[in-house]
Amino acid sequence: MYYLRISDTPIDVNEMYQKLVDPQYGGIDMFVGTIRQWTGNVETTKIEYSAYQPMAEKQLEKIAAPIEAQGGRVVVAHRTGSLALTDIAVFVGVAAPHRAEAFKWCRFVIDTLKHEVPIWKKEYDTDKVRWGN
Amino acid sequence: MTEVTIKLFAFLQDRLGPTVQIEVPTPVKVAVLFDKVSQLDPQLSATLANSRLAVNQEFVDSDEVSLTASDEIAIIPPVSGG
Repeated sequence: MYYLRISDTPIDVNEMYQKLVDPQYGGIDMFVGTIRQWTGNVETTKIEYSAYQPMAEKQLEKIAAPIEAQGGRVVVAHRTGSLALTDIAVFVGVAAPHRAEAFKWCRFVIDTLKHEVPIWKKEYDTDKVRWGN
Repeated sequence: MTEVTIKLFAFLQDRLGPTVQIEVPTPVKVAVLFDKVSQLDPQLSATLANSRLAVNQEFVDSDEVSLTASDEIAIIPPVSGG
């Protein structure tokens, strides 16, 4: 069963990984998104994440459910609150019987999350503050 | 006309606070609803042009929607999680 979390609790990669470990799976693909300092010439100092929490959780369920129906397991944790450089903003992990599905589904989850889940970043750069996108 | 409460997020919330109340006809075209919010703060027009409407935590894909005072209505500006 999937595990989906949006919270201000720091993300522990090993804790998330353990939720994917199961004898039925032979491949676990994980994506960890972190706070980057430089985007071209723009220097970021911190990022604040906020969410429309109940809808965001529903949207994550819509992403995860079809993968679980095909035999995978999905673990997503996304931070809210203020994050410093190198902090983990998002963890996406997918366990599958074989690596091809694990890679494919993990990429699908993070790519879809970025378009369909109501979470926003407010980026603090050295010269300005801006909402992502 | 029905008075509805609309949740706002991100840049929209920075400008107008977490909710606004507006009067809309019902059914209402999504574009009309967004235009009414834009009239509260013309600086929001660019963001609203790229925003989506959500009713009861589901995106609205149609151009027109029927709303009641008890619906949970939200304007979702471009998301930027991940």
